[in-house]
Amino acid sequence: MNSPSDVLIIGGGLHGCAAALFLARAGRRVTVIEKNIAGRHASSVNAGGLRLLMRDVREYPLSLRAMEMWENLADIVGAEAAETCEIRLGVSQIAVAMEAAELQWIHARVQDMQRRGILSEEVVEPRELHRLLPGLAPSALGGLISRRDGHANPANAARAFRLAAEAAGVRIIEGCSLRDLTPQAAGHWRAETDAGPMEAEQVVNCAGAWGAQVAESVGETLPLDVLALSMMVTARVKPLFAPVVIGIDQPLSFKQSAVGSLVIGGGISGKPCLDRNTSFVVMDRMASSAAATVAAFPALARVPVVRTWTGLEGKTPDGISFIGPSSLHPGLWHVFGFCGHGFQLAPAVGEIVAQSIVTGRPDPRLAPFATDRFVRPDHRPMSRSSA
Amino acid sequence: MNALSFGAPAADADVIVIGAGPAGMSAAIDLAAAGRRVIVLDMQPAPGGQIFRALEANFADPETGALLAALGPAYSAGKALMQAFRATPGIDYRPETTVWDLRADGTVGWLRGGAAGYLRAPQVVLASGAMERPTPFPGWTLPGVMTAGAVQTLIKAGRLRPEGRIVLAGTGPLIFLLAEQLRRLGVKPALIARTDRLRDKIAALAQLRPAALPAVVKGLDWLARLRLAGIPMRTGITELAAKGTERVEAVSMKVSGKTLDLPCDLLVVHDGIVPSVDLAHCAGLALEWRDSEASWRPRTSPDGRAELVPGPSLTAGPCRIRISGDARRIGGAEAAIAHGRHVAAAILGAAASDTAADVRQAMAARGFIDAAFPPGLAKHLPADTTTVCRCEEITAGTLRTQIRAGATEMNQIRGITRCGMGPCQGRNCAVTLARILEAECSAPPVPFHARPPVRPLPLGALAGLTGLDPELAQVVSLEDKPVAAGDDADE
Repeated sequence: MNSPSDVLIIGGGLHGCAAALFLARAGRRVTVIEKNIAGRHASSVNAGGLRLLMRDVREYPLSLRAMEMWENLADIVGAEAAETCEIRLGVSQIAVAMEAAELQWIHARVQDMQRRGILSEEVVEPRELHRLLPGLAPSALGGLISRRDGHANPANAARAFRLAAEAAGVRIIEGCSLRDLTPQAAGHWRAETDAGPMEAEQVVNCAGAWGAQVAESVGETLPLDVLALSMMVTARVKPLFAPVVIGIDQPLSFKQSAVGSLVIGGGISGKPCLDRNTSFVVMDRMASSAAATVAAFPALARVPVVRTWTGLEGKTPDGISFIGPSSLHPGLWHVFGFCGHGFQLAPAVGEIVAQSIVTGRPDPRLAPFATDRFVRPDHRPMSRSSA
Repeated sequence: MNALSFGAPAADADVIVIGAGPAGMSAAIDLAAAGRRVIVLDMQPAPGGQIFRALEANFADPETGALLAALGPAYSAGKALMQAFRATPGIDYRPETTVWDLRADGTVGWLRGGAAGYLRAPQVVLASGAMERPTPFPGWTLPGVMTAGAVQTLIKAGRLRPEGRIVLAGTGPLIFLLAEQLRRLGVKPALIARTDRLRDKIAALAQLRPAALPAVVKGLDWLARLRLAGIPMRTGITELAAKGTERVEAVSMKVSGKTLDLPCDLLVVHDGIVPSVDLAHCAGLALEWRDSEASWRPRTSPDGRAELVPGPSLTAGPCRIRISGDARRIGGAEAAIAHGRHVAAAILGAAASDTAADVRQAMAARGFIDAAFPPGLAKHLPADTTTVCRCEEITAGTLRTQIRAGATEMNQIRGITRCGMGPCQGRNCAVTLARILEAECSAPPVPFHARPPVRPLPLGALAGLTGLDPELAQVVSLEDKPVAAGDDADE
């Protein structure tokens, strides 16, 4: 038997490590078990976008807090580790409208956000847009900008949080799968793992794409689709421009990394193999993302793709994650299903989850993320726009 | 862009052959002669592979008599094969075509100029050949340090004649062949510095089969001519280093315990060749790590049938890939031609006992050659200060630091250090990193994930990708656009 922990965290991704870090700093003894290598999937394999732009309004309070934390990451993980994260904030993220419907959407979005008192997004007229994004196709109609935004190196950020958590006393066990999780009397938990049995007062399910499986193992059904989000990396090219470019209705998302390569996403899924902890890039699908990139920036047609990535990520029916206590079991929290936009949120989610667990009172900012929102008869989750 | 109809895409040919070297050409000739529709995809502008590079052009040009004489019978031997390849109807030969994706179900991703697509066939013959074993040593990235294969390319396709003080270092038959070709071109190397020793030859005698005698005689003949020409030769050299600031100026090595320094304008290195496994690995085919060869090779049956790695794969169904020639097992041109024919016989369902015997005959000298010329430059692992990944300028020391800090998987090390992330896509550093990892962790290394594209694929070509699989091409995506005013269902 391992010595009992106050908190057992399942999953050593960015969210698991961030929650572990803040719990440990609040004096809790924390163990993280990771079936693979910490940060192997969605934590490392994402575009590293730090954006308020086009953020779902339900995520806004968390995203704002997270932005403050990224801006001062040295205070959280130390100056040296923060340096490795290659944080570039204030370079802007820009959503580009290539079609009239997208431009209409931009105007509606800005009005809606202003009505809510959120002023981080502005319309960019074509003239400024072309100045900000040299090489943009002349047919681009306009854009939506969030000037505070930017990007970071996701793999290094996941690693920075992991090392900070370990420095704060968190025990991280890699290559350690959860075999069985059982609630004990008095609200404690017992976990059977590859590293032997473990006991803890609290369990936090940060298992990402596998989060629903962990929930299911204790009889709790949380709806989750699994995607194998894929990205492409090009050869290094001359500096183009600093902002991150994303699409509205196009599978467009790209930025230039610190070393000069273009990192191209677009939210396209490959083939996930959840049970085998792996996934495959499907180049037939990546073609649409390349086409969107070339349509917006014709001069990039000659730039070669040299690598692709894919990692597994969970997607909920309403496009935001589960963050909150289990509705079935005391002493269990679910924090997973970030739908491809959990990277930027992670420091804030870790902090707020840790505070909520320590105080025993879920933070009100977490209300939209309630784990029972799909089963409560009185509550209709906000539906996604499919227009 | 995506096809609207579902269903399995039609085959583009009966067989797709990847590579128009000796193995690919001989397989294609026999398959087409038997009435099969064959597509041959090859990177080069003309058939021939590495060994018969630019052979047609050199034969067609009346000015190249001296060059052909210098390149000798090993080169001219390709002429008949090339003529048959050109003359056999039913071969759809596509030069300057790079293969960047391969799937076990017989789907092949190609790139030619600015266009890219997928082709399919019920059988694929992977005959993509070999590469020179990467051998990092101090100074190997300096201009003026080249591999023997690169020098041969310059001679065959560029018709260039190297000049200045030339040192050849390493081991294997190609060193002798190149030295002999240079001699005939009137270029006298300053030194042939061999890592192999007499005792390797004595030990290799146990492997000597009667059928191997012609190869041994050929080797002794090269050796005698080089001696006659007065080209200095040392054996058992170690600690090779290239020195210079802007380019190589001198070379140093240890010979019989003493340091030998000599000025040098061109240092040519060769440490044997290893199968090119990137496409096999991309297709999810099983590879085996060979300690004695310090490299991977694909796991195949004698008639080239490849095996899938157990576990999940992108495509369903049986493996439709056979591997032939040096891409399967290093044997040289004759063995590759024999194996190409053997694979063709197997695909045609013909009696394969004759072709199998030919393969055995052509491979007969291999045991002796491998034992006589063991990896030399690759015998010792690079020192901490030596660059391993030249694209990203990562040293062996950086890699060892990460391994000792707990990174025990090639992908993990790549993620942390960027080793293997450059334009060569890891082809030049993967084997060296694997050897370092094996020495540190004493477990057979697993190569980097080889996700498509395994060769650079321009965005514009990818944007217009043709031959998509209608089912696979159904895009599954996040649909990440948040709700805006007017369609907010909650309020």
